[in-house]
Amino acid sequence: MHTGVNGEVLKIENLSFSYEKKDQVLKDINLTAYSGESIGVIGANGIGKTTLMKLLVGLNTDFEGVLEVAGHPMNQKNIAHIREHIGYVFQDSDSQLFLSTIEDDVAFGPRNYGLSEEEVEKRVEEALAKVHITELRHKQTYKLSGGEKKLASIATILSMKPDIIIMDEPSIALDPRNRRNLIGILNEIDSLKIITSHDLDFILDTCERCVLLDEGRIIADGRSEKILMDKELLEAHGLELPLSAGCRYKQNIDNVQG
Amino acid sequence: MHMADALVAPAVAGTMYVLSTGAATVSVKKVREENDPKKIPVMGVMGAFVFATQMLNFTIPGTGSSGHLCGGMMLSAMLGPYAGFLTMIGVLLVQCLLFADGGLLALGCNIWNMAFYGCFIGALLIWRPMMKKGASRVKIIAASIIGCVLTLQMGAFSVTLETLISGITELPFSVFVATMQPIHLAIGFVEGLITAAVLVFVYEARPELLWGIGESETVARKEAKLSLKNTIVVIAVLAALAGGIVSLFASAFPDGLEWSMEQVAGTAELEAEGGAYAVAEGIQEATSLLPDYAFKNSESAIGTSFSGIVGALVVVAILVGACYAFRFFKSKKSGVTAA
Amino acid sequence: MSKIEKNIRELNKLQNLQQRSHWMNDLHPLGKLLLSVIYIFITVSFGKYSLAPLIIMAIYPIFGFIIGELSIKEGLYRMRLILPLVVFVGIFNPFFDRQVMFYIGGSGGQTGIPVTEGIISMVTLMLKGFYSVLSAYILIATTSIDDICYALRILHVPKQIVIVIMLIYRYFGVMAAEADRITTAYKLRAPKQNGIHYKAWGTLVGQWLLRSMDRAEDVYESMLLRGFKGDFIMKKQKTRPIDIIYPLIWTIAFIVIRHVLIRFL
Repeated sequence: MHTGVNGEVLKIENLSFSYEKKDQVLKDINLTAYSGESIGVIGANGIGKTTLMKLLVGLNTDFEGVLEVAGHPMNQKNIAHIREHIGYVFQDSDSQLFLSTIEDDVAFGPRNYGLSEEEVEKRVEEALAKVHITELRHKQTYKLSGGEKKLASIATILSMKPDIIIMDEPSIALDPRNRRNLIGILNEIDSLKIITSHDLDFILDTCERCVLLDEGRIIADGRSEKILMDKELLEAHGLELPLSAGCRYKQNIDNVQG
Repeated sequence: MHMADALVAPAVAGTMYVLSTGAATVSVKKVREENDPKKIPVMGVMGAFVFATQMLNFTIPGTGSSGHLCGGMMLSAMLGPYAGFLTMIGVLLVQCLLFADGGLLALGCNIWNMAFYGCFIGALLIWRPMMKKGASRVKIIAASIIGCVLTLQMGAFSVTLETLISGITELPFSVFVATMQPIHLAIGFVEGLITAAVLVFVYEARPELLWGIGESETVARKEAKLSLKNTIVVIAVLAALAGGIVSLFASAFPDGLEWSMEQVAGTAELEAEGGAYAVAEGIQEATSLLPDYAFKNSESAIGTSFSGIVGALVVVAILVGACYAFRFFKSKKSGVTAA
Repeated sequence: MSKIEKNIRELNKLQNLQQRSHWMNDLHPLGKLLLSVIYIFITVSFGKYSLAPLIIMAIYPIFGFIIGELSIKEGLYRMRLILPLVVFVGIFNPFFDRQVMFYIGGSGGQTGIPVTEGIISMVTLMLKGFYSVLSAYILIATTSIDDICYALRILHVPKQIVIVIMLIYRYFGVMAAEADRITTAYKLRAPKQNGIHYKAWGTLVGQWLLRSMDRAEDVYESMLLRGFKGDFIMKKQKTRPIDIIYPLIWTIAFIVIRHVLIRFL
């Protein structure tokens, strides 16, 4: 595990970003995250969640402020090195899985980092086992269901043993059972996870920490139970209470009234 | 318009492979020079896109029929001629392997007939000069239609030549050309319209995605000059190469080529003689659609005999039996071991 | 069933065949690819009247289909795309080339049924068409496109072309499914049309094209984030003696038919 001076895996200080000198998309973001944490990033559509995620993996480096991943400052020189520490699971699994068999796709990262064939083999087995799809190893990507594709996408990242895993809307288009299964699997992964989602129940089930973004700023950063139960806060920023929290919220009110 | 393996003689297939490889080598060099790592995934995804759009039916106004997209011209207008050409090679190979559209041996011909003209002639000699001073709806529509019609005509003409030089058909040059060209004129026109509609949409939505539009004057002129020169040099070298290979084969197998050349020129008109022709002549008169044209070349006819054919059929029948017997005993054996 | 659905089904069937466990599937892809090309090359090199030796050439597809346990019906079905041109080119041979080659039956003063050169050359052409399609089917039913790409890399085909082929193959299924959704959605709202109306050509395909460009961007980023440096590194496949012996025996057999047997038939 590579960390910064104080053991942080991710350090963001006063980060601002704008596309081609137009309006700022991200303003003065501050965030520090440690190994083993699981952070949900929430916010309404178009408030800069995806932009922030893409900055974290170095798909854009024209930002102002400090961004350090695993102790390395993000810049053009460090990018290749930093990417060995950070994995990104795309919203659309079909974009993530660009080879025709699962085996080759999971081996793609390790092979590119010049690992020996034995090591690649070991990594593939481990990654597939972690997401419980060992039996899909030789299957063609094209034939997988949406849920299987999502798990395979995660395996392609796990095989690189990253310190940080970023996921963009992982629960989208999953049926209830696959969704439940994914929650279980994510909770077993011990890297730092940063998950963006509109599925607030999913965030509640997978992340102990939650960051609320609006208009490019961090509005709230704290325990998920606290932020996701705060009806006024959520509604003020274009979100609604998660279903399960909604039930609890109603229960609380009933209790108070009763 | 895909050529099948059966239609090309090995010499023709080989020649066209050499030509297509030449164009591919130039393209790979150009794409490498661009040094844009994003280009390859874009080529792959766009290739799959073109492949899929070929399966859509487009209603042709005023008729009951529908048209299709072939894509060479569209790809080149998005990716440039070199990346477009390499992408079309991929599309044609996958098509040939997955859906038997075209053939492994005829692939060189198909790449030349469908990708080379569309990408190199269509993009470099039509699209680029027309878009040099900036694009407009009218210019895009004109370039698409001219490009598609012209490159499809060239492709269809190449199919005719390749088939005739291969010497497998008795069809006269004139009949073949008179059938192929008009059909492809209509196909090219419709394809041009579809291509135009799509490119105009892209131009209006995201013009920066189109290739070769409004390049700065001096760069454009220099580049255009260079690329025109390059293209002419490439075509000249390839033509010389083709001539060389064909004549090499011609000297090795004089009969076949003379036969087909004579056929192409359409000179020999030999009279049918003897009662043996009665039946066939009757059929011909009955159909009477065909011109009175008969051709025989007994010298080059390495004939076959009836007994030879019977013998061959017997051998094949025995083989079929042997293969089934092998499979039967094998499955029985594995069944026994399994039990 | 629409053309798109048919193609998707055909893709599925081929992928199932490629995933079978059969010794033919396990042969080295380079040997299988070269064998197919050599077979087609020799097949089309037969003269247009050399029917008898050409019939013998059927041994390869027959062996491939029976021993390889492939469906001949599926193989023949694949003829449909190239058949029209082959038929157009060959069907006129009997009318133009009417020199009698031999008679079937007939004895003494009677002549039998005449068989002309044109008929022979037409049958020869058709056989070449069938053989080449069937042998290509044997290749693709036992070898995945990825394996063929691996063979192409051994043959020094530039990586730019090979990677593009792999991506086209991977995304063809995805794009075909999208095409199916688009046409279905279109048909449901325009039930009386048998295709896409010309007014929708630009927007419908154009929108889809822009979406595909965005997807290409994502694919590129996904590669980049997993260490893509311009090449796909492929796992090396081992070569066993059978990988060389199998194509070699067949090649010798084809050459014998082409150059030796031809004299006796």
